[in-house]
Amino acid sequence: MIRLEGVSVTVGRFALEQVTLEVPASGYGLVIGPTGSGKTTLLEAIAGHVPLSAGRILLRGEDVSRAAPEARRVGFVYQQYHLFPHFSVRENIGYGVRGQDAAARERRVRELADMLGLTPLLDRGVQGLSGGEQQRIALARALAPRPTILLLDEPFAAVDPATRRTLRRELAVLHEREGVTTLQVTHDFEDAMRLGDVVAVLAQGRIAQSGSPESVFRFPNSPFVAEFIGTGTVLKGRVERAGPAQPGAKDFAALFRSGSLALEVVAEREGDAYAVIRPADLLVSRDRSAGPAPRNRLAASVVRVERGSAVALVHLDASGTALVAAVTAATAEEMALAPGDAVVVSIKATAIHLI
Amino acid sequence: MTEPRSPWTLAVWLLAALLVLFVAGPLLRLLLLATPESLGQAFRDRELLASIWLTVLTASAATILSLLLGVPLAYLLTRIPFPGRRLVAGIVELPVVVPHPVAGIALLLFLGRQSPIGRMLARAGLEIVNHVPGIIAGMLFVSAPIVVSAAREAFRAVDPKLERVARTLGDSGWQAFRRVTLPLAGRGVLAGAVLAWARSVSEFGSIVILTFNPKVASILIYDRFTVFGLPAAVPAAVVLLLIALGVFVLVQVLASDRSERR
Repeated sequence: MIRLEGVSVTVGRFALEQVTLEVPASGYGLVIGPTGSGKTTLLEAIAGHVPLSAGRILLRGEDVSRAAPEARRVGFVYQQYHLFPHFSVRENIGYGVRGQDAAARERRVRELADMLGLTPLLDRGVQGLSGGEQQRIALARALAPRPTILLLDEPFAAVDPATRRTLRRELAVLHEREGVTTLQVTHDFEDAMRLGDVVAVLAQGRIAQSGSPESVFRFPNSPFVAEFIGTGTVLKGRVERAGPAQPGAKDFAALFRSGSLALEVVAEREGDAYAVIRPADLLVSRDRSAGPAPRNRLAASVVRVERGSAVALVHLDASGTALVAAVTAATAEEMALAPGDAVVVSIKATAIHLI
Repeated sequence: MTEPRSPWTLAVWLLAALLVLFVAGPLLRLLLLATPESLGQAFRDRELLASIWLTVLTASAATILSLLLGVPLAYLLTRIPFPGRRLVAGIVELPVVVPHPVAGIALLLFLGRQSPIGRMLARAGLEIVNHVPGIIAGMLFVSAPIVVSAAREAFRAVDPKLERVARTLGDSGWQAFRRVTLPLAGRGVLAGAVLAWARSVSEFGSIVILTFNPKVASILIYDRFTVFGLPAAVPAAVVLLLIALGVFVLVQVLASDRSERR
């Protein structure tokens, strides 16, 4: 278990402030945030490389706030691998188990090398290896002493997309096999959606939001979080009451106005607000009468279509407001959407998330 | 890139050649005097041999002290932020700009019997001025900045995150330094130590004030030149020059190995 209680750290002019976060035992936590938000500093604080100015860090239920890094028993993998250049691959992996007898050390090195496909490289030096190979060695080296906690600093940032997919899969398998409580920092929400049990969004040294990846993605609590994790279109506007609240409920029917756009929404308060519209919640149709009777139906024109292997993103202009809708690649193909096409976009009032 | 045979190119070549000639000319002239006879004469000169031996020993002692005191300081200056770090870094580099006789006088005032430290050392049985420790003090004063500077450069080239990784793999601070940082910075530190040794061997200005006798090689050469003239000074000068050239070659080899490793 990793538990941070009001952790504050100052490094030069940068400060992490009041970070509170918990990753359960054997869980996988992700901290995401833009460059310079303090992600690496947070991991280094947990590993004991930078002192805390306030708060507590508990690992495995034990307060380690003042413990030396070697006493914290955490594995650490940096983004740029930081393999020891004067050692071979075998020596790098076995660095943390030097104290064991030679046979046990070799067994552990071989076990990890087999698991990560590094066996043919064991006698090589670490120079000239590919990014993916170096990342696997760094991972094997961190896991060799069987830490119960693993800290990963953007482990996929410096590898090509294909290697990233493979590494992500391998990491998920390793996490399951070794049962290590893992905290990874990344700027890629894709990692959080695929790997994380808990996700925290870090912005300028503070946790902007934390929770399950699904809840953070569906219900971002600020325009920053919504925009950073790419929840969808974020519109700035104003909520106006359109009907009375239901008996026993806080919410009421309302209109959200943003520029020339007026959307029916379900709101809990009136006044200035942001509306977040997920691409998957926008239905695109050529037929004005089609669709499962949603409340909001808007005429729009296609600006461009971004085709992916499974999903296509359709960028739209609805009376001067930019919207993004997601359709399956097959649907995009069938509809033959092209820039300039007139379409109708529909969205349920309940699918619009107000902040 | 300049055009071949343009006036500008010719001027650059001419100016560069002039400086190379100015540096290499005198040294070559001196080396040409190193006939087997003159060298044989030099190696039979017991006073010269004793002086060279003293120079080698004191320069080695000064270099070892520079390493013992300078490497930790360089590590502190590179890795650990503390108030006044820039001031300390500046102080350590001061000897580079202090004229060496001035350094000798300063050391005399600081370590001589008239000073509290000098008296304390003398009471402990360590005489500095006009004794061998005075030679070492003079050499240490001028060579320590070289070691500190080389070690700082070498430590800067080693990513501190390597040490951090080693710490998470169970190393104490000292173990991480010994197993990771020092082996990676070692060649740079060694190159600095060799240069510091060479600088110690060539030191004259401060030693002549602190400890004229026993004479190190540079002082012996000066003494013979002023008392007996040029012919008496040449054999000793040639031997010292050969030692310096040997060190120079060693530094070049270390430096080229380092650049190949990058």
